[in-house]
Amino acid sequence: MARREYRGIEKKQARWGFAFVIPSMLFFSLFSFYPIINAFYTSFFDKRALSKAPPKFLGLGNYIRLFDPARAASELSFLNSLRATLVFTLGTFIPLLILSLLVAVFISNLGNNKAKKFFQIAYYSPAILSSVVAATIWMIIFDPRGLGNQWVNFLMHTPGIDHKWLVDPVMEQVSTMVIYFWKYIGYFVILFITGLATIPPTLYEAATIDGANKNQTFWRITLPLLKPTVVLVSVMAMLQCLKTFSTQYMLYTNGAPRAPINVITFNIYVTGIQQQYLGRASAMSVVLFVLMLVLTLLQFKTTNSEQTEY
Amino acid sequence: MKKMCVLALIAVLLLPTLLFAQGAKETVDENAPVTVQYWTHEDPARTSLETELIAQFMADNPNITVVRTTQSSSKQIELVQTAFAANQGPDMFNLPIENQYAYITNYRVAPVDYKAAGYASKQDLLDKYVDGVLDTVTFEGEVYGLPLELTNWCIYLNKNVFRDAGLDPEKDYPKTWEEMADISEKLAIRDGDILIRRGFDFRYPYYLTFFVPMVEQLGGDLISSDGKQAIVGDDAWIKALTFMQEWGPSGRNLGSPTYKNARKLFDMDNNDMAMAHSGLYQEGRIAEDNPAFFESKEWMVIPFPVFENAVRDVAANYYGHFFMVNADSDPAVQKAAWKLAGFLLSHGVDYLTRGGNLIQPTKALFASDTLKNMPYSDVFINDMARAHMIYYGQNSAEIQTQLRYAVESVMLSGVSPEKALATLRSAVQEIIDEQ
Repeated sequence: MARREYRGIEKKQARWGFAFVIPSMLFFSLFSFYPIINAFYTSFFDKRALSKAPPKFLGLGNYIRLFDPARAASELSFLNSLRATLVFTLGTFIPLLILSLLVAVFISNLGNNKAKKFFQIAYYSPAILSSVVAATIWMIIFDPRGLGNQWVNFLMHTPGIDHKWLVDPVMEQVSTMVIYFWKYIGYFVILFITGLATIPPTLYEAATIDGANKNQTFWRITLPLLKPTVVLVSVMAMLQCLKTFSTQYMLYTNGAPRAPINVITFNIYVTGIQQQYLGRASAMSVVLFVLMLVLTLLQFKTTNSEQTEY
Repeated sequence: MKKMCVLALIAVLLLPTLLFAQGAKETVDENAPVTVQYWTHEDPARTSLETELIAQFMADNPNITVVRTTQSSSKQIELVQTAFAANQGPDMFNLPIENQYAYITNYRVAPVDYKAAGYASKQDLLDKYVDGVLDTVTFEGEVYGLPLELTNWCIYLNKNVFRDAGLDPEKDYPKTWEEMADISEKLAIRDGDILIRRGFDFRYPYYLTFFVPMVEQLGGDLISSDGKQAIVGDDAWIKALTFMQEWGPSGRNLGSPTYKNARKLFDMDNNDMAMAHSGLYQEGRIAEDNPAFFESKEWMVIPFPVFENAVRDVAANYYGHFFMVNADSDPAVQKAAWKLAGFLLSHGVDYLTRGGNLIQPTKALFASDTLKNMPYSDVFINDMARAHMIYYGQNSAEIQTQLRYAVESVMLSGVSPEKALATLRSAVQEIIDEQ
């Protein structure tokens, strides 16, 4: 009897819970789940953007083509895109994680509230700039006659040297990393500042009474207690970097060569939108999805943090 | 309960797949007033003219509402394609023919409704246009588009910059590509490796328009005449690629795709660009951007150069933008769209004089004094006579991407012309084999 009553309450609660969840589930299924299923399905077909003819079933044909070793030599191949994506992710995500943490600690430790707010806004503002504005700013900097060459040549006393920001393959990759870093560091700084605010000040007071210096406080209190935020930020930053597109698109449309910055998302865009091979582009997006899933799981596993308790 | 919840969740998740499995279809009520969605690329002068003409058209046809939407030309290409892929394409649109041809071969656009567009018959339409112009949009015996503009590019030259470098613009202007490089060297001002003033620079990345004709001058071809073989005449390609390699930052350092767009700098007359590649419409843009420079007559237009050892006299390819109508639109909307296209195109002189200096290739306009009296229109018309339509095929846009990769890899990435050509050949061959 008692068991029946319990189930009744559970049912009632579940019904309400379900009612609250339905709108977001609908939204998710419409804008995320359906495109994922559709891309997965399309990846088995030779589907062209403009063709009205029924797409030809290829089975794993699109996937075999992506990983075909005979195509690996081409700088525009999918395998090169994998390389470009991993280089960009490693080159951006690690500095982004470390420096955003350091900047967040620096801002949190500022005594002056006005200065704190100023730095928070200053670091965050690039994140809300539109891609068009960001493109204009960086093209002014990276133009051979632009500010980039002027500043570097002034600092290094090397007048007249063109540092080929958008021409040299290595410099071009570095340029994309710099732009991305500039655009997103503020976002992660804010996340870290929020994480730092959750650490009870009493712990720092106790540490000060025990004679701990700032360095010890950081390594023994701040960092361990910030671990959940570090995991969150690292996963988010890594996923953001794997999905990078607008920076590479912006450089390409301004004349930079494609091969060094042909990351997977950019290859998907060129293959699906410019070249109209939707099936092939869908296969690429499925591979990217799997890659992101595996790396995220791996990251969760390796940084498996025990619950922080104060 | 748990099972019920899981089943309900799955049902919610799968709902959109059922809803959209066949793609959304728009139905048009034939009795309702007709609305024509017209998508076109940005061009301030044309916008001003078309706004006026469309208002007049709607006043004459009260049951037709025209919604004109503009996007930048590069975005327009992607938006139209994405909309068509989702079966939500505009009723009427225009794109460059190299991007537009695939809409015809994929049956996404409707044949011209001659009567609605104001022609007695197909023959009447053909008779009104310059011979061959409509061949580009003729497929399986039907005409699928009406030309909004036919454009070719010549070289705009700033006389002040020439004089500043001790050159006489009337006599010393470059007639060959070799002269173009040598004169650009004289005109260039550098701060170390950095070009402060360029003599000339190409119009990157429109390689189908200017680079393929350079190859053709040397005896090469993009595709063989039977359409089966990619890259004909290796020597010509190697020479043309070598020329571009020499032009770039690793060669004589005369220009590069990473510098600011040459034609925009040209308009401003800031002593940083001596020559730029553009169409007749650039005259309107100079007048708009820098009226004093336009009025000063300190600029002129010269023909597209040829190589010294050219075997063919070929100028820059011309390209067209055509009005096309969505085959999936309601028949009443299609009729209204063709009526609108015909009405707009009946104002060819207005497009030439105050609609962005666009040339609509009708016999009447080509014979008119209005065109002949436009500054340097003779240079454009003469160049058009020694040019041909840009390569257009189902995948011409993709071929242009591969050409860009080949040229820029030799100019910027240190790849040898031979290696770039081999890569280009295999990529273009694959494209035409898949076509």
